[in-house]
Amino acid sequence: MTGVPPTTVGSGPLGKRKAKAREDGFDRPRFLRVYSWFVYLYLFIPIAVVVIFSFNSVKSLQSFQGFSLQWYDEFLSDPTLRESLFVSLRIALITMIIATIIGTMLAIGLVRAKTRWSPAANVLMLIPLVTPEIVAGISALLIFSQLGIQLSFWTIVIAHITFSISYVTVVVRGRLASMGDEVEQAAMDLGATRLQAVRLVLVPELWPAIVAAGLLTFALSFDDFVLSFFTTGEDIQPLPVRIWSAIRFGVSPTINAIGTLMMVVSLTAVVAAVLLPRFFGRKESGIKVLTGQEE
Amino acid sequence: MTLDPRLNRRQLLRAGAGGALGLYGLGALNGCTVERPIDKPESTAAIKPEIDGDILIYNWAQYMDPDIKKRFSEKYGVEVNEVNFDNLEAMVTKLRAGGRYDIIWPTPEYAYRLNQEGLLHRFNRDSLNNAKGISSFYDKGWWDPDSELSIPYTYYTTGIAWRNDVVSGMTGSWNDLTNPDGAGKMFILDDFQEAIGEANLINGWDLNTADPNELEISKQTLLDQKEYARGISTNSTANLVNGTAVIHQAWNGDIVNVRNQVDNPEDFSYETCEEGVPVGTDLMCIPITARAPGTALKFIDWVIQPDNAAQNVMWNGYPQPVEGGKEAFASLVKDEPSIDVKLEALGDGGMEYRLDDPDDRALWNQTWTEVKAS
Amino acid sequence: MPGVAGDVSSKGFWSRFLLPGGVWLLLLFVVPICLVLALSFGYTDDLGRAVYSFGLENYQDAFDPLYIPVLLRSIGFAVATAAFCLLLGYPIAYYIARYGGRRKHILIALLVIPFFVNYLVRTYAWVALLADEGLVNSALKDLGLTETGIQFVNTPYAVVGGLVYGYLVFMILPIYASLERMDGSLIEAGKDLFGTPSRVFMHVTLPQTKQGILAGCVLVFLPAVGDFVSAQLLGGPDTYMVGNLIQDQFFAASNWPFGSALTVVMMLFLSIWMLGYLRSAAREARDPVAAGGV
Repeated sequence: MTGVPPTTVGSGPLGKRKAKAREDGFDRPRFLRVYSWFVYLYLFIPIAVVVIFSFNSVKSLQSFQGFSLQWYDEFLSDPTLRESLFVSLRIALITMIIATIIGTMLAIGLVRAKTRWSPAANVLMLIPLVTPEIVAGISALLIFSQLGIQLSFWTIVIAHITFSISYVTVVVRGRLASMGDEVEQAAMDLGATRLQAVRLVLVPELWPAIVAAGLLTFALSFDDFVLSFFTTGEDIQPLPVRIWSAIRFGVSPTINAIGTLMMVVSLTAVVAAVLLPRFFGRKESGIKVLTGQEE
Repeated sequence: MTLDPRLNRRQLLRAGAGGALGLYGLGALNGCTVERPIDKPESTAAIKPEIDGDILIYNWAQYMDPDIKKRFSEKYGVEVNEVNFDNLEAMVTKLRAGGRYDIIWPTPEYAYRLNQEGLLHRFNRDSLNNAKGISSFYDKGWWDPDSELSIPYTYYTTGIAWRNDVVSGMTGSWNDLTNPDGAGKMFILDDFQEAIGEANLINGWDLNTADPNELEISKQTLLDQKEYARGISTNSTANLVNGTAVIHQAWNGDIVNVRNQVDNPEDFSYETCEEGVPVGTDLMCIPITARAPGTALKFIDWVIQPDNAAQNVMWNGYPQPVEGGKEAFASLVKDEPSIDVKLEALGDGGMEYRLDDPDDRALWNQTWTEVKAS
Repeated sequence: MPGVAGDVSSKGFWSRFLLPGGVWLLLLFVVPICLVLALSFGYTDDLGRAVYSFGLENYQDAFDPLYIPVLLRSIGFAVATAAFCLLLGYPIAYYIARYGGRRKHILIALLVIPFFVNYLVRTYAWVALLADEGLVNSALKDLGLTETGIQFVNTPYAVVGGLVYGYLVFMILPIYASLERMDGSLIEAGKDLFGTPSRVFMHVTLPQTKQGILAGCVLVFLPAVGDFVSAQLLGGPDTYMVGNLIQDQFFAASNWPFGSALTVVMMLFLSIWMLGYLRSAAREARDPVAAGGV
């Protein structure tokens, strides 16, 4: 693996030393294992409820009466709900593409350029990560109203991109920071222009991180409620906004069917984020890239 | 993270100076409104029910049987798309921000306000095939003196729903909300008018009072009720079905839904209260910015067609004041007459929410915010 | 001139990469937030529209004794959320990092999966589970553990529980990353120095992962303060959070200027944590070891 400092991977994962560890107190694998199982249980019970009750044959969230696909049928036979699903997908796709391009460029600029604007740009990039979403939603609503821009599909997309750029930058920069610029320099010594060096050397090097960041962005945007809620307008609303309106009035197991379908979509994106980097000749999985282990 | 460590005091100062400069620039905004006025079409001639494109309807969630939209689409070859709001004020906000919807569902007072702002289309009721089935109560209402702006969709009372297997001693008064059997399992509707209105009625004020002293006392009434409350929520159906609520301020249609969804419908009762029965109507109106007002009108006509009205009532549990809708609802509630709404009651015993003065609305909103925040 | 990486022009070349993102964030993030600030001095006119102005009334209202408790409550909930997330997240991150072995990636993926079910749907599932006659209470009654059932929903605990469930992943990932980044030989050295594993943990592992803990706490705390979903769906009469208050001002009470003022006040409260996070990120970049506290 080129450019990865030996300390991150080379010195061996902690796991190898477990055989020697004397066990007491907190650091007991058995205690930790049981504890972890409970956390997993806590995380998965509601998911199981969503999935199981999406197949319920009656309109109840209290008792499961039998297997049925009627809630999926209800979802799929309602053209506007179906359209909402496609709207959510389109928003997520456009957000992914644009935010990934802008965010990657920002990451490259932040690592490579050392101008007096870099610190300011860095802070600018970090702020969205630590700003509550409701603030981003309100400010987006205000700027669009102020400029007389009709709230629509595109206002949602713009708000999503704004909030996603920083995620992309952080993930991509994590990888970039661990690479030297020797290969680019070598490419340029061989006659490549700087732009060619970026296109032919840097981007392929960064590709696993770019793919992972893009798919993460896709999943975040696809699931987003708060930003969409504030910026949705006259076009078909994305699914989470429909869900919000629906769960404040009445009981609808259709929500469970929608939730299950959305989970399948998001998981596909995440699984792709984890697996795709391998197709680009990387041994490490996308999880490493996403959790920033390469920083 | 590689934040540049040289982010020092000088740079912060520079950033601060830039910010101050920006603030100065924002001063230029002084006096501007946030929303731009909507571009209204010049011609405001009455529209006709004829297909002129796909429509986008802006409705409460789960308020219309999707099958009714679907069959309309199939019959006329246009799309009926739907978006939802969870609050009338939010609906107005999006409409004012220039949102182009073909049908909206305001209450009479919202229809009145929107019409004052010139935001509603006019149409001739007689051009609809099914207009003759509309209950005469909705002829020339105060919000629509010439019956040319709105068609009624549903009507409902606000009252109290309770579990008669848990709670006893209900008296038919709004004070039943603080029945000790329901302490800790009582819900107030998360709606500023329903909540304050109920308190006004308990105190013997006018339903729509805007007297600050009276509202202050009603606020205290609500704060006292909060001691008994489990929550403030519009989801009376779910709260009653899942057993979290045993007493719930509620709309009568929700009780129909509750009774449809539980194994023990006989345990769920509903009462309207002697101090006063708020009666509401949800109207269908066509905003001036509609893209396909003709299709919209045609769709409204479709919704009040007797067989469709009956089907829709069976689906959402709310009565429709049109031929077909009334009968369907009567059959739904035949064993629990308290849930029924007598349209005659709309005249004298029933009361409507109406706050025309923006200052009054602001005061009510302020009062409700204080109740929720306390 | 290809191949000649002159210092000055190279700087210019790379800084161009900063432009699209920088301009985008400036125009669509910073400027809009300034608009919120500007509107917070405004008022609502007779038609219910928000008008910019220079008044302090909204701030007087926001600092009214009535609303301060709402803000403090939100911060309290968010602190509790961060604490529970740490309590749940650290051990599991530690377990996976130290004992996960070959299954590490699967275990982490399993932790992340639930967060890709829509937050609203997940919260809604909790309501179904925890309602008074919901699945959990039915099970407890069947087991004879309770006769009347336990009131879970519409309580502060339910709100915090919903928040923990919503944001746990933001705690686990930074901690896991910092544990993975840690040099394994430090633990060996620590063993010689401190003896028992728990002392090694206290004196070596914990300080080494301080950055991850801090990052996790901030990333959980900040969004939790502004959340309005959990309190709306799982809350009771006394769980009104500042996010609900702000949301209501925009979409129920139609008082945008007051909503803006509340937003600014909330941001002021949060800026302390935000700056702390940014500063520590800077310190880490300068000197990772010192930042680790060893």
